[in-house]
Amino acid sequence: MFSKKPELSISIPSRTELLKMVVDLADHIATLNQFPPAECRKIALAVDEAITNVIKHSYRNDLDKDIKLEFYTSSEGLKVKLLFAGVPPVLEKVGVNLNKMIKEKKKGGLGVELMRRIMDSVVYDTSKNINTCEMIKWKKKRSAV
Amino acid sequence: MKSFYIRSKVVDSVAVIYPKGHLDAHNVERFEKEIVRFIENNQFFIVINCKELNYISSAGMGIIMGYLDEIREKGGDIKLCSVSERVYEIFDLVGFTEIYDFVEDEKVAIEKFTN
Repeated sequence: MFSKKPELSISIPSRTELLKMVVDLADHIATLNQFPPAECRKIALAVDEAITNVIKHSYRNDLDKDIKLEFYTSSEGLKVKLLFAGVPPVLEKVGVNLNKMIKEKKKGGLGVELMRRIMDSVVYDTSKNINTCEMIKWKKKRSAV
Repeated sequence: MKSFYIRSKVVDSVAVIYPKGHLDAHNVERFEKEIVRFIENNQFFIVINCKELNYISSAGMGIIMGYLDEIREKGGDIKLCSVSERVYEIFDLVGFTEIYDFVEDEKVAIEKFTN
């Protein structure tokens, strides 16, 4: 299981120009944690989507807010945790219907779906005005208990 | 240093857009402007040549999704060509590969509109 202390913790301002840096970082950490290259790229994409959602929805594109990003590693997998303030995320529980979204001319709504399809677990929580997004990817699929 | 570039041209009344590099929420406005520019010029046959596209997030895919209905209503379509394996994987994750026409190269994509 994951240690209580993150392997790496950084704080970044809520600026989309830093997304590529974070994607490269997440890809690198997943690589160090011995995920296959295709999985590393997908994990990095999930982190991009999570941070983009925070900037757009929780911080409403305010550039002067902070997002804390923590990486926890173990021999079994990788946990990425985001801590942020702002508007608590409201997520749709059902998956996306792409044809319906196209008919409705929607440009948003794919990010969380991507996160869910890539990661084994995506959990949002809000406590004492701090929002968290915790995503876990296991190296091997775990059977349901 | 810029991580995303975009250029385009018109070939036989088909608009061909060349996104290059890393397309995420930071760069998406430029990508959207290019698509909107063609729609406003009544050019509804659009090819997105992804040969030099290394990365796309949902922000970029959202733009391709958001204008598709309008383009198809006007008799056009968006076709994607020369997509690398790593970018194809991303499109496939959300089911784009079942809805959009992915073709091997630009020539084939243009011919599908003109023939």
